[in-house]
Amino acid sequence: MNPPRAGLSQETQWAYPKALSLKGIGLFCLIIAILLVTGRNVEMGRMVQLTASAVSVTATGQGESQVAQGLSKIGTSLWPLQISETTEVGRIEGFDRARLPWLAHIETRTKQTQTLNPDTLQMDSVSETAEYLVEPLGYLRHVAVKLVETLEIALWGTVIAILISLPLAFFSASNMAPNRLIYTVARSIVSFLRAIPELVSALFLVLAYGFGPIAGVLALALHAAGFLGKFYAEDIENADTKPQEALTAVGANRIKVLRFAILPQVMPQYIAYTLYVLDRNFRMATVIGLVGAGGIGQELKGRFDMYNYHHVATILVGIFCTVFVIDQLSARLRRRLF
Amino acid sequence: MTASKPAHVGFRAVSKTFPDGTQALKGVSFDVARGAFCVLLGPSGSGKSTLLRCVNGLATPTSGEVFIDGEAVTDKVLPQIRRKVSMIHQQFGLVDRASVAENMMGGALAEIPTWRALLGLYPDHFKTKACELLQSVGLSPEHLQRRAGDLSGGQRQRVGIARALMLDPQIIVADEPVASLDPRISQEIMELLRQAARLRGVTVLCSLHQVALAREHADQIVGLQRGALIFDSPVENLSDDDFSAIYDLEPLA
Ligand SMILES: Nc1ncnc2c1ncn2[C@@H]1O[C@H](COP(=O)(O)OP(=O)(O)OP(=O)(O)O)[C@@H](O)[C@H]1O
Ligand SMILES: [Mg+2]
Repeated sequence: MNPPRAGLSQETQWAYPKALSLKGIGLFCLIIAILLVTGRNVEMGRMVQLTASAVSVTATGQGESQVAQGLSKIGTSLWPLQISETTEVGRIEGFDRARLPWLAHIETRTKQTQTLNPDTLQMDSVSETAEYLVEPLGYLRHVAVKLVETLEIALWGTVIAILISLPLAFFSASNMAPNRLIYTVARSIVSFLRAIPELVSALFLVLAYGFGPIAGVLALALHAAGFLGKFYAEDIENADTKPQEALTAVGANRIKVLRFAILPQVMPQYIAYTLYVLDRNFRMATVIGLVGAGGIGQELKGRFDMYNYHHVATILVGIFCTVFVIDQLSARLRRRLF
Repeated sequence: MTASKPAHVGFRAVSKTFPDGTQALKGVSFDVARGAFCVLLGPSGSGKSTLLRCVNGLATPTSGEVFIDGEAVTDKVLPQIRRKVSMIHQQFGLVDRASVAENMMGGALAEIPTWRALLGLYPDHFKTKACELLQSVGLSPEHLQRRAGDLSGGQRQRVGIARALMLDPQIIVADEPVASLDPRISQEIMELLRQAARLRGVTVLCSLHQVALAREHADQIVGLQRGALIFDSPVENLSDDDFSAIYDLEPLA
């Protein structure tokens, strides 16, 4: 008997794989080359230069920077946030003096306007008095209402997306589809839905359904259905096959296998995807509002076009807060499920 | 208790070649008598699982046939066959995230209309049956709501056995039911399986790696090696030499 010997025999085939292979180095160089070329095309060098000068101007207070100026201009025009709302009483239909909204009061304001007197051809100073309804938290409330409307659009976009994507996922999972043709068709529909951005489909849907939330809901639902369909289907394909086989052996059909062997396995993932879609739909709902599909986006676009930057700031803060809250809630929900 | 009539199982020149060219079974022929407890022995890769899967159509023989009570197992009669044949799995075949109750109902799916299964409206007699069976395999009521994945291996295989009895099978096919359990629990599970089979009149085909367990519980021993049948006889006739031959060992000096 030979004692166990350290070291490999001379004619061995054993060689521990090297960390750096020629192929690896080549790939690395290729990636660097691609990044260099594309980076030049999107002006990454100038970006670094402009940012650096902005930082140095802000830090030292010397010199000039286009970026720093731009940013500070935005900052000053956004601040302070618009909280209150003032409306001329005369413009409110069916105004009831006895029943003012919460916290509201009426103010009489005098406005000086310069007009040309046609008799004297002199500039006259005319003072007009008008009554205004001042609601101290009026605009905040208006934004809140719009945010809720946006949430509703996002919610229904998600609900309809789930309804569309469940059958699509079933038929585009290779282990569930009854045949190759149906599988291919379902897969193509899923890819197509995912390929059309919400903003684009919203443009068309606004033409079809008019301005308002319907177009928004549908635009979100179609895109999200493509997203959910893909991920639901992949989870069905990757589910542990042992319980599936066990149920097949019992004589269960595909639908029963899906319900009893696959659904319990994929449920937590499905809930996670769906929560992500809800979150994403809310953010996208603000974007498609820009093209008139309802919600806070429509308000944002209106204010932006009228240069009401204080209002814009309030809207942005509102969106941020809502996204933050959704994120917290979904994180909590997910933690409880896993 | 509704004891069904145990079935006879016959293998006639069963061969299976997988698409990649692996010859898993080479002309295997033997019979399992009604109500017998037949144990398949054989080294890893000898084709035990493949043979068992031919009984309920999870695998289809390339040539040859499996007969259950004289009726050949073909695709056309698979639904009826699967109602008569239950399976017990090495990795238990349970859905870990689902409750024990749900897993039990999985065993009765062939008899539950799809819409009822989807809505969870299970017939009452199956609910009662699930509880009775779980009790008979030694589990307690609080296990019903527990996730299958939270049970110990032994408890999971008890659920696996109880599930296999949901439709009063005539045949139970058990593929290494105790391979991932410790010796004491293995003994308990084999006893449970043996007892349930005898009580209910079920023919059992069971693959095992533990020769001692086979000796103790089997009526009939079938030995496979590289896909070929090399041994088939009542358990009394299994000698140490036969055992060495099955596992391809040097005869003990
Ligand atoms: N789906 C498959 N495709 C190709 N070859 C397969 C397939 N399933 C099994 N085999 C091969 O068939 C042979 C028999 O496998 P089988 O699983 O029946 O053996 P076994 O006796 O059950 O082994 P073990 O005791 O390890 O479970 C093996 O060589 C295996 O690699
Ligand atoms: Mg096996």
